[in-house]
Amino acid sequence: MANMREIRNRMKSIEDIKKITNAMYLISSSKVKKAKKNLIQTQPYFDRSLETMVSILERTAENDFAYFDDRKNIPPEKRKKAFIVITADKGLCGAYNHNVIKIAEEKLENSEDTSFLVLGQIGRMYFKRKAKNNPKIHFEEDFVYTSQDPSIYRARAIAELISEKFANGDYDEVHIIYTEMTSSVDMESKVMQLLPLKRQSFLRRAEEEDLTTHPYAAFMPNAKTVMDGIVPIFLKGVIYSAMVEAFCAEQQARMSAMDNATTNAKDMLQDLSLMYNRARQAAITQEITEVVSGSQI
Amino acid sequence: MGNVFNLEILATDHPFYSGECEELVFPTVDGLAGLLPNHEPMVTILVAGEIKFRVNGEWKYAAVSDGYIEMVDNNVTVLADSVELPEEIDRKRAEAAKMRAEERLKQKESLQEFYHTQAALNRAMNRLKVSSRHFKN
Repeated sequence: MANMREIRNRMKSIEDIKKITNAMYLISSSKVKKAKKNLIQTQPYFDRSLETMVSILERTAENDFAYFDDRKNIPPEKRKKAFIVITADKGLCGAYNHNVIKIAEEKLENSEDTSFLVLGQIGRMYFKRKAKNNPKIHFEEDFVYTSQDPSIYRARAIAELISEKFANGDYDEVHIIYTEMTSSVDMESKVMQLLPLKRQSFLRRAEEEDLTTHPYAAFMPNAKTVMDGIVPIFLKGVIYSAMVEAFCAEQQARMSAMDNATTNAKDMLQDLSLMYNRARQAAITQEITEVVSGSQI
Repeated sequence: MGNVFNLEILATDHPFYSGECEELVFPTVDGLAGLLPNHEPMVTILVAGEIKFRVNGEWKYAAVSDGYIEMVDNNVTVLADSVELPEEIDRKRAEAAKMRAEERLKQKESLQEFYHTQAALNRAMNRLKVSSRHFKN
């Protein structure tokens, strides 16, 4: 039977940790409320802009414009890939960061030249370390953005950066890895190809069914101006929406992780207090036995 | 109901309007353009400016920034970075943004930053314009 003082110390430290996890739970649950509200406001835009882009792409003669250039002259494994990775600034949110990083790792395997543009401290640290001892990976040092409180200004800066680098040939492919809320509690980390524009990459949320085909549409004033203008706006919208989704998912993940931790702490305390009482009872019994046996002599 | 089409205006941070509409006038790269029911399928760019649409004979106004418009089968989708009612516009904020942008324009910066600032100035000016046209204060 464990010593009473040891058990008491242990209970004390669990009690303290429980206070911390409970506080974090409360904080993230209030943040998740705000993030969810944002998400509900943004989701219609996100869905519609993907749908609209799909229907626009359907009617555009591809290959004509810079943003469709799929670098046919470069073999697939030689293409310079860039990944925008959205992670959290802090840990303690269950598997949220790991899921995102795992997807990035998978993508890394079949690529010769990969750049990482990382939002959030956790991912930054991870990829910085990784890039140090692997010449195939480039870590964009200057790309410093937080994943907290997404804003359209940040999305605009990112969209401009990637469209410029894509146009210059610094990147041949641009993908974004983020976490999406599939329902109000479930989330899924996924990757989406942003550039070059491809119809398939924007079909999602069971939109797989036949979209009505419109073989013809007018572009005003002309197709080139329209496409060159739309693409940066579209990218900005998608990046913003992905940041909103990821922020909401992060808070949700942290909330449930901290809730679990608090419940576990409660369970442990219960077990330990049982052990403690048993130990105390055993000590008392032993003392009585000693006293009784002593008095009989 | 007469001749109408479905209009959906979505801003990145909130759905703005969804419903029937008789006429839509919006700013595009080469000036104002209008859409009436049964227009041919069309895709075009929206630039920062004032958008107006008529519902039951009554014109409604809003300030918009960059975005795009798609017209398909009498369904019009307007996707813009921001859409604000004249009364929602924060004049103080827009004025501050205008000052900041003008300040930066004065200092000659790289070309990209120049375009950036110019766009910011446009957005701020437009907000002020729409707000002062409909609200005398």
